[in-house]
Amino acid sequence: MKQNTIFQAVAIVAAGIILALVANAFASRDRKVSLVGTYPNALKVPAREVPAAPPVAPPVTQTVAMTTQPSTITVQPTATTATQPTATAAIETVGINPKAKTPAAPAPTTTTAPTPHAPPATPAREFNAHPDKPYIEIAYNDVKALHDKNVLFLDARRTSVYEQGHIPGARTYSVWESDIDDKVNKLFAERNDQAAQNLPIVIYCSGGDCEDSHMLAQKLWGIQFNNVYVYKDGFPDWQQHGAPVHTGANP
Amino acid sequence: MKRYLTHPWLTIRVQLALGAIFVIAAIPKIADPPSFAHMIYNYRLVPASLINLSALVMPWVELLAGLALILGVWKKAARNLIGILLAIFIIAISINLFRDNAIDCGCFNVADRGKTHEQRIFDMKVDVVRDLGMLLMVGQLWWAGKREEPPS
Repeated sequence: MKQNTIFQAVAIVAAGIILALVANAFASRDRKVSLVGTYPNALKVPAREVPAAPPVAPPVTQTVAMTTQPSTITVQPTATTATQPTATAAIETVGINPKAKTPAAPAPTTTTAPTPHAPPATPAREFNAHPDKPYIEIAYNDVKALHDKNVLFLDARRTSVYEQGHIPGARTYSVWESDIDDKVNKLFAERNDQAAQNLPIVIYCSGGDCEDSHMLAQKLWGIQFNNVYVYKDGFPDWQQHGAPVHTGANP
Repeated sequence: MKRYLTHPWLTIRVQLALGAIFVIAAIPKIADPPSFAHMIYNYRLVPASLINLSALVMPWVELLAGLALILGVWKKAARNLIGILLAIFIIAISINLFRDNAIDCGCFNVADRGKTHEQRIFDMKVDVVRDLGMLLMVGQLWWAGKREEPPS
């Protein structure tokens, strides 16, 4: 009797596993997950953010921008000290599996042009490569400056959210969807020499405690992208500043 | 009292309600595994390699166990599985309450609602109480099942 119950419970779990795998195999691209994900901080409890900081920060940066030159913008390096093992693992993934799959969307056309020319009129801060850190968090002014320079933007939010509105030119790179590794591989194939890898990349998600962009930054840093910036306050802040927004599946 | 608490009238209703709750809870997770994987990740309790797998499998087990209770097939196995799941949920939420890691439960909804830290902590406490209530329902089914066992 009891053994029968155990057998039935095991059967329910086994049926669950089979159904889950079948459903995932037939799921659409943005509803699918890879069976084994890579999440470096899966067991690390995040430090609590000071709740007062986000509402206070924007007015402060604005006044600074009004009174002084944009060159005074401070960039806070993050406390993240990611370890290189993650990096090696990611390199291996890319090396073993260099899928040269070109996506249907005309993604590469828009935002690949980097910054070989001199920066525009304002003496903005320089965005040099920082191989020692996976990413540097930046605020709106720096983000806008980089956007004006046609730097590559990556949107780490879910594809469905991206389609409702994103920073013009940004490509959709959701870390939770199954094709993230393919997309990262593609970027690696696009920028496969040292100079290209040192070009700035800005990643954003939805601000607040959203850490998808940090996760993506870690992935990119792991494959030698040494100049990645995380737009700390993310898309809501971009909208708040009245900056342009693009809707739809294309960048 | 004992007679009322283990009365078939009550048992059948508890069984249907618990089954329905689990079916309803499973559907949004089955519909959007990446979001549920994100929810599981937020708990910071599951090793990285198991996050996606558990996000895929757990909702299907919930759905099948819930359906089994509703249909009255393999009732005991389904009840036991639901009891185990509830215990896991309660422990997982409690650990995060204890370490002040405010998260969305991901129980019935996998969308990020942008809640504040305080709202999340409050909701997590409510979730623990709710899950304890459901565990009581499992207890009722177990008790009633035990009572009806000797004659059968």
